[in-house]
Amino acid sequence: MSTPSNRTTWAAWTDSEPLECVAVHPEIPNAATFSFRASSGALFDFDPGQFLTLEIPAPDGTVHRTYTISSSPSRPRSINITAKAQDDSIGTRWMLDNLKPGMRLKATGPAGTFTTVRSTADKFLFLAAGSGVTPMMSMTTCLWDEGRPLDIVFINCAHRPSELLFRQSLEHLARRSSGLDLKFVIKEPDPYHPWTGYQGRLNQVMLGQIAPDYLEREVYCCGPEPFMRAMREALAGLGYNMDGYHQESFGAPLSLGDKEKPFEDTSPSDDVAAEVYFEKKNTRQICAQTDTILSAAKSAGISIPTGCTFGLCGTCKVKKTSGKVHMVHSGGITEQDIAAGYILACCSNPIGKVSVDL
Amino acid sequence: MSFPTTDLLSRRVPGHALERAFYTDPAIYAQDLEQIYYKEWLFVSPACELPETGNYITYKVGDYRVAIVRGVDGEVRAFHNSCRHRGSVICKEVKGSAAKLVCPYHQWTYDLDGSLLWARDMGDDFKPEDYGLKSVHCRVLSGLIYICLAENAPDFDTFTEIAQPYLAPHDLSNAKVAYESRIVENGNWKLVWENNRECYHCSSNHPSLIRTFPEDPRVSFLGENNIPDFIAEHFAACEAAGLPSAYVVPKNGQFRLSRMPLVEGAKSFTMDGSFGVHGKRLGHVTKEDAGVLNKFHYPSNWAYFLPDHCMTFRVTPISPTETELVTCWLVDKDAVEGVDYHIPHLTKVWMDTNTEDRRVVEDNQRGVSSPAYVPGPYSPVHEASVRGFVDWYCETIGPRLLPASVAAE
Repeated sequence: MSTPSNRTTWAAWTDSEPLECVAVHPEIPNAATFSFRASSGALFDFDPGQFLTLEIPAPDGTVHRTYTISSSPSRPRSINITAKAQDDSIGTRWMLDNLKPGMRLKATGPAGTFTTVRSTADKFLFLAAGSGVTPMMSMTTCLWDEGRPLDIVFINCAHRPSELLFRQSLEHLARRSSGLDLKFVIKEPDPYHPWTGYQGRLNQVMLGQIAPDYLEREVYCCGPEPFMRAMREALAGLGYNMDGYHQESFGAPLSLGDKEKPFEDTSPSDDVAAEVYFEKKNTRQICAQTDTILSAAKSAGISIPTGCTFGLCGTCKVKKTSGKVHMVHSGGITEQDIAAGYILACCSNPIGKVSVDL
Repeated sequence: MSFPTTDLLSRRVPGHALERAFYTDPAIYAQDLEQIYYKEWLFVSPACELPETGNYITYKVGDYRVAIVRGVDGEVRAFHNSCRHRGSVICKEVKGSAAKLVCPYHQWTYDLDGSLLWARDMGDDFKPEDYGLKSVHCRVLSGLIYICLAENAPDFDTFTEIAQPYLAPHDLSNAKVAYESRIVENGNWKLVWENNRECYHCSSNHPSLIRTFPEDPRVSFLGENNIPDFIAEHFAACEAAGLPSAYVVPKNGQFRLSRMPLVEGAKSFTMDGSFGVHGKRLGHVTKEDAGVLNKFHYPSNWAYFLPDHCMTFRVTPISPTETELVTCWLVDKDAVEGVDYHIPHLTKVWMDTNTEDRRVVEDNQRGVSSPAYVPGPYSPVHEASVRGFVDWYCETIGPRLLPASVAAE
């Protein structure tokens, strides 16, 4: 019987060996996928979603940068990272301009706990924005390669369609599995290219339309912090059990082992008192932070016109004259109105003392 | 004794005004709406009236009510302003701003693209996708919003392709409305147009306008192969400065574009002929004596584009003997009132002219309403363009009034 490979050992790569760049593939503008191998022939073992830290010889001195691995451990002979350079980028900019096949870089890792490997769930909701899609690309490829039936709703968000990372790769996977439900959400179309998919900020209403069974899904979220915060607030507001929520702050400094710390969102608490002052009626209502301005008004005998009661129709818009609220709306109020001090009473929780123009 | 409109059209004397019924009869007025205003492309507003997502304007024409909205994608869309539930109007202001389009009756909530997002307690079988707002054809031509109420809109591309190069140097995408006036003239909409199409009446009625607007009838309307040297030279000088200027009228006469000289020394429509906007002029016209780009497009818009500011006029019939005229003065969005321009200086000429035109149109209406009125001849020198309008009107509405079997021949 012949040997399927001429390898004599199946050693796992360790970060004492530098990575050798073998390919650079451009993705979207200012982003590329860099493929590396181990010159020794060692194979890569990691959890999908983990990251590597690269030592980059930038012109003004060596910098260390953390990149999520975009390839899957099911394809262990090489390892990919996909990086997008922001305007002020040093490390990624250097890689885009200088890193060529044959060059070697020192790397440490893999590390990170943002992974599907230890999950017992079989239904997933992936929420990705910008280059936050990289860990989900690895996870999806891995689940697909494992041959298990997939049940993934994958929402990939970008500013414009031309800035969607892995659009074709994901479409290719989705074409070969009915269990990968792929959706793209963009902020604005590219000039002269009609966009017929979802558009705007991903919000509660869109989530409900795209994944009506979101309550049953394990959520993995990665993107800029404002995106992840909006997703946390949207899910929490919809009654999602946040134990099933995982997030990776891509671009965060390397910090091993402390990924499990609780989120520092202001979330209203039902055992903290708040007070709503209705100025025109000269009435104060003591309530809990988890009450809404609308329910506080009702308790005070003040009627505010309402419609949907979940922040979409905007009928309950009122002017806040002082104090702080925690508002999770579904697009029923414009940024200009928010800037001018308006809130939607149905989805605003009072934090401390709040006055409204009623 | 009354005659069908088609009979009145067939006995029309060429080169003469229309008969009394065209300016007074409620049945012909209804046909004008049905066959002209409900079928042709209508100018509604400069697009700069909707600078932000969620900005909307509403427009009433005949029995139709339309809302024009800027969406989150920046696109301007038009919808029938009637809820798909029990029909209430949705947008109630003439100009407003909204995060979503919400019916004030039962709060059915539509996205800015017209799709129904939410309706309370409509049952499990209710499909929101079947109840989006009904859309109205909507196009933005170089910063001017046009709509068409017809099911199948007539060609607009020809006009767009011809007009765009003329309008481009005026850069209406960077404009703002410095001033808007709305007047109602007690006259049939066709009398408003007929009056606009000639300057035979200018010397005695428009003392403010003729300070800067030449009374030479050829500035108002050029015939074929009848271009005097001073106009030909003006076209050539403007074209050399990168400003499309040549006189264009399509075969059916529905629109006209040309860049005409003003009175010697005048730069803009102001009482002293100086620019109405100093410093921050609107557009990229560096040639200070480029004169005025005259544009009209029947049945609803005429407009003037000057090197410093622009003006749009919207003509909307209200009844057989009432017509609304909305005039917008557009300046650069960064021009500052009181610094770069002063409203009275900017607007006086056309505020005066509109008032004077209202008077002559209303006098005209009172006269043609008399049973003794008999259509008289147009001046071949001064009123060729009035004849052009009336011919366009008759040739447009005539075939549409014929029975379908005949019209299909």
